[in-house]
Amino acid sequence: MAPPPGRDNPLTRSVAGLIGVGFLAVMLLACLGSLPWTLGSSGREGEIGLPRYNQGEAREGRLPPWWWPVGKDRARRLNEGVPEAVAAEIAARHGADAEDVRARTSGSAAEELRAHWPRYWLGSDVLGRSVLVRSLSGGAISLGIGLSAALLSVLIGTLYGVVSGYAGGRVDGVMMRIVDVLYGLPYILLVVLLAVAVDALVERRVASRVESLSKERAAYVERGLSGFDAERRQDKALVRRVEQEALERIGTGELSAGRRNAVNVVTLLVAIGGVSWLTMARVIRGQVLSLKEQPFIEAARAMGAGWGRIFGRHLLPNLLGPIIVYATLTVPQAILQESFLSFLGIGVKPPLPSWGNLAAEGLVQLNPYESHWWLLFFPCLLLGLTLLALNFVGEGLREAFDPKRGRR
Amino acid sequence: MTSATPPAAPADNGPLLRVRDLAVSFDNRDGPRIQAVDGVHMTVHHRQTLAVVGESGCGKSVTAMSALQLIPRPPGRYDRGRMEFASKRGPVDLVALPEARMREIRGNEIAMIFQEPMTSLNPVYTVGDQIMEAVLLHQEVSDRDAFEIALQAMKDVGIPEAERRIKGYPHQFSGGMRQRVMIAMALACHPRLLLADEPTTALDVTIQAQILELLRDLRETRDMGMMLITHDLGVVAENADVVCVMYAGRVVEYANVLELFGAPLHPYTRGLLNSIPKLGERRERLLTIREIVENEAEFKRLPGAQGGIRPWWPWHDPPADLTPHEGPAGDYHLLEVRPEHWVGVWRTRAIEGHEGRLPDLSYRKPLSEPATGAAAG
Repeated sequence: MAPPPGRDNPLTRSVAGLIGVGFLAVMLLACLGSLPWTLGSSGREGEIGLPRYNQGEAREGRLPPWWWPVGKDRARRLNEGVPEAVAAEIAARHGADAEDVRARTSGSAAEELRAHWPRYWLGSDVLGRSVLVRSLSGGAISLGIGLSAALLSVLIGTLYGVVSGYAGGRVDGVMMRIVDVLYGLPYILLVVLLAVAVDALVERRVASRVESLSKERAAYVERGLSGFDAERRQDKALVRRVEQEALERIGTGELSAGRRNAVNVVTLLVAIGGVSWLTMARVIRGQVLSLKEQPFIEAARAMGAGWGRIFGRHLLPNLLGPIIVYATLTVPQAILQESFLSFLGIGVKPPLPSWGNLAAEGLVQLNPYESHWWLLFFPCLLLGLTLLALNFVGEGLREAFDPKRGRR
Repeated sequence: MTSATPPAAPADNGPLLRVRDLAVSFDNRDGPRIQAVDGVHMTVHHRQTLAVVGESGCGKSVTAMSALQLIPRPPGRYDRGRMEFASKRGPVDLVALPEARMREIRGNEIAMIFQEPMTSLNPVYTVGDQIMEAVLLHQEVSDRDAFEIALQAMKDVGIPEAERRIKGYPHQFSGGMRQRVMIAMALACHPRLLLADEPTTALDVTIQAQILELLRDLRETRDMGMMLITHDLGVVAENADVVCVMYAGRVVEYANVLELFGAPLHPYTRGLLNSIPKLGERRERLLTIREIVENEAEFKRLPGAQGGIRPWWPWHDPPADLTPHEGPAGDYHLLEVRPEHWVGVWRTRAIEGHEGRLPDLSYRKPLSEPATGAAAG
């Protein structure tokens, strides 16, 4: 019968790998699961529908996590953050005026005020935005880009490697030399070029669309007004009404902020995915080269199987091990690249957060006089742990799939 | 005729496979092309086993692989020749067949078993899946029917507890059982011709005997022709009806098994036969093939040697009275030296104008089983 589950399963042999899987699951759930909340409107009074990750009040800027001990100066600043009405009520109860109470940092009145301090679990950034919210949504973006870029690179790499390995001979030689050349190019250069090129393309498209639509609107207004006599055409209200109508019907052609963000993110993930498939292609090509000489491939041919069937049914399942291992090792790489590019300001552009640009923002705020350590620490901690977990999982999988580590 | 033969099987009115003047060469990057097979003739009939014998690299496997167009091209190339096969849809030339039509024949009408049962099965699928794949490739049946066919195929090749083992993976099978699975796969579609490329080389002797007996039984019950490639003369003596000895890409001797073992005519064949130990015979050491083929006198023992007929041998200088034909392999001829016994000879003046018959023996060993004997009669 089947062996008792879990005892000899190579997938559960690596403890670090299991911890990694657990951590990644929690991370993914937290980052992606909180997306509706972090992207949702905060609904605070006076807000103009900014998503929660981009919403904050400047007077609550650079606050430490609420559980962090605060000095007197900062306590006074936090007291300032308590709403007027609440402060007045507390002041009245203690028989002092609000100004005076806000200046206190100890005593019962201060304790009462403390209860009303704005609370940030992981502190707030320069603009008073919650670091927790930004880290979560930034994590969603980093993980999302990392995973999709890795997926893209796995797809390209596998296809390229299989074709190269299966074709063999001169085709293989040419295809692998192309890979060698791409290996030689600094990938940063490629990514920057790609990002800039896509940006420029998008801008050109938008500009030409804006122009053509404005012409269309003018024509629409002209047509709308042609029915009226010269006197009525001077009527500003009428003209404005027709112009408004034209705007509603035709639009301006400008990209919305959301669209622009989407283009930015997609460009980045295509750029990263497009340059990180090289190792994958090499590994897969090597595997295919050895697999295609296996007698069972020849046996399949002798059985009358065509190219597609041999590829899909006989090659791919045998390639699955290395594909999975390299995919899990490509994900942390892709995440790291994304963060690195964003840190340099080439990748995800603020206000859209990502672990990389959060770290970049945090680094600027680090100074010897007042260390806003939480701005740098939390995004970096999450990034570091995630990368570590992914590498553990990758190593664990590699061990599990390694045929040389015979089954005990 | 009482036995239930498949309706499509024609009467034994012609050969199943007729190889004529086949030549295959391979590109050698730094040197001349390597002529692996050069002017090979052979014939396989229904319910007949043709054994192809020869040392490594003599072109046995290349001949068999050519029948399925499994030679990678390039570097391989079919230089000339035909492989006429009596397919279910009429005669075809296997060498000239387009790939799409070839795929219909592979596995379906001509099946092949390989030498390495350890690596000829895909490790990621159950053996049942792999036999089913062979069935589904060529037959319009449902998955459930394919499963039944696969199960029956496994029972036919004598795998015990087929219902349970059909869900097993190749690594759970022993070598002999894997070879049985390979045979089940090969036979699941009831091919007319089975190419067995050293099917027992990787197996131990007991299993070898079992597998060969199985193949013999299946050949009889399924009215199959079989090309058995081997370098084990014991296997040949036990299983073959007709033997084709090859050397350096050419046929050096071709005769029925009794004739060949009883009166080998080519020195190389004699060398082969003398280099195997015989039971009840005491000798200091066995003769090597070399000792025989390097003895000039051996080449003069061929009937007709006085008249100038010389056995072909690539390491000899051609005889002085060689009158080669135009074209490739013109210095060589497969001559019917005695009735139904062919030997590869130099094309000397003595055989000029002598074209004769090319090897075609429908000879079969007398059937020992009374049941099959009745069917044959």
